[in-house]
Amino acid sequence: MAILVINEVSKSFGSLQVLKKISLEVQAGTITGLVGPNGSGKSTLLSTVFGLHKIDGGSVYFQDQPVTGLPPHRMYQKGIAFSFQIPRLFFQLTVLDNLLMAAREHIGTKFYGALFLRHRWQQQETQLVKKAGEILKMLNLFKLVNHKAGELSGGQRKLLEIGRVLMSDPAMIFLDEPAAGVNPVLSREIYQKLHLLCQKGLSILLVEHKLEMLLDFADYVYMMDSGQILLAGKPQAVISDPLFYQVYIGETKNAAVSS
Amino acid sequence: MYLMDTLVFISIFALLSMSLNVEYGYTGLANFGKVAFFMAGAYTYAITISLGLPFYISLIMAALIPALIGGLVSLPALRLREDYLAIVTLAIGEILRIFVKAEQWLTGGVWGIAIPSIFGGLGLSIEMMALANVLFSWGIVIIIFVLLRLIINTPYGRVLLSIREDDIAVKTLGKNPILYKAQAFMLGSAIAGIAGGFFAQYIRYIDPYMFLPLLTFTVWVMLILGGTANHWGAVAGAMIVEMFNRGSRIAKDYLVLPFDPHNVQFILFGILIILFLLYRPYGLFREKPLKTGAEVEILKWQSSSSTK
Ligand SMILES: Nc1ncnc2c1ncn2[C@@H]1O[C@H](COP(=O)(O)OP(=O)(O)OP(=O)(O)O)[C@@H](O)[C@H]1O
Ligand SMILES: [Mg+2]
Repeated sequence: MAILVINEVSKSFGSLQVLKKISLEVQAGTITGLVGPNGSGKSTLLSTVFGLHKIDGGSVYFQDQPVTGLPPHRMYQKGIAFSFQIPRLFFQLTVLDNLLMAAREHIGTKFYGALFLRHRWQQQETQLVKKAGEILKMLNLFKLVNHKAGELSGGQRKLLEIGRVLMSDPAMIFLDEPAAGVNPVLSREIYQKLHLLCQKGLSILLVEHKLEMLLDFADYVYMMDSGQILLAGKPQAVISDPLFYQVYIGETKNAAVSS
Repeated sequence: MYLMDTLVFISIFALLSMSLNVEYGYTGLANFGKVAFFMAGAYTYAITISLGLPFYISLIMAALIPALIGGLVSLPALRLREDYLAIVTLAIGEILRIFVKAEQWLTGGVWGIAIPSIFGGLGLSIEMMALANVLFSWGIVIIIFVLLRLIINTPYGRVLLSIREDDIAVKTLGKNPILYKAQAFMLGSAIAGIAGGFFAQYIRYIDPYMFLPLLTFTVWVMLILGGTANHWGAVAGAMIVEMFNRGSRIAKDYLVLPFDPHNVQFILFGILIILFLLYRPYGLFREKPLKTGAEVEILKWQSSSSTK
């Protein structure tokens, strides 16, 4: 069963058409990968579907409900969590506060609740803190729990961005290059964790340049080029397709030769 | 007496800079029309008290009406484009002053309004009345101070700070920044309104010329020198700048200078700001991490889970 259906979605920035009637599906409980050359529109697809950009055309269905053009906070409330390719953390806040910000239905985040239901939100936070602690341990960030997020290294920021997504108990997550800048052992562990979560019902749409990760963990892969889907199928099938080689590997090789 | 007067003015400015701190320090909203909400509070107090309402009701109204204006002004501006708020607030100060001047039947126009003191009919000596005002105004400062600490050190405060840091990221985490911004703006306006209400009560006569844009500027300087996003910073900033202002006003009478001594105050003020920007760009007090209790709980959790 498809949990997310993207139907002929288009998006232009000025005269630049970045998405040209993109259609794809994510099956529930799977990891679906997006791959393609730099600038092919992968990140734009994720952020447009999530409501961060105004959608120019097409429709989006999540769990069989139309969610086309909903703003991000409504998408989140529907059960989707989003992570940015370049982390957008709250730098003056602690690592812990960054994670707690992602908590779902937290009474203390409402003005009334914060002031008058103090006891209840404090109990809620005691639970949330445990969850945050587990996530931070997994991401090797626990020793920095009460440090400002702005003090983290580039890779650690990426990890915290992923942690924030895990914190919100989503039904589905959008991940933009979760392994970028993260050491290979840890990024494999993260993928293993994601794989486990998928077996418990989580669905994932992610962008990934690292082919070995797609081969080992993705259930289905779409290859994009210039705002269009060129290939779709099992990771092995897509990656061994001559067109894949020509568009994706070939392009980077040519670039490497010419530079 | 001069000391008492200084103390009262410091408390009024402390309220104003705490109110700007909610908006700018914690939520990142630039309000360039603080004076408008101060003025709205002062006039609300003056008008409602003249209708015969008890002073505490008038003071509550002096918080509610500016909060309402704050909500009406900020929501549409925030919806249009986030950075319109700065422009709109700049305009509202002027608009409100023109309104007050024009609507003579309500506000007394340029002639102003007289306001009775709360401590008027009690037969107090002038000294005792001054003391009563000091105690009352600092009482308000303490209440607001405690209340703001209670509001900020919560998950709600965490959302406000996060909006200041990156409101798009806040959106992706399921909270609508516009609502929070409007609330913060209303809260800030309510505090400014209370300051205005007390000011009217204290000064016992207000007219539109008391509410010039310079006041907004002064409050900004107070907050930035004291330190943004720090509860003590807002109060300390008010204290320093008000004492400095008064000090330089007195000093200029004793100086013999080759130029208009009125300018000394502004020159010294400029030097003070430059010195701060050079040596303490974040102000006297620095921002502290939030204390919601989670920062302690997590360490408890760690020690209990590692001993298992
Ligand atoms: N906000 C924006 N405004 C204007 N142009 C944009 C914007 N975002 C992306 N683009 C353009 O859209 C195109 C696709 O960008 P996008 O970030 O989606 O690529 P990508 O496939 O994620 O690439 P990468 O693998 O390098 O992350 C690029 O040409 C980029 O310049
Ligand atoms: Mg990208």
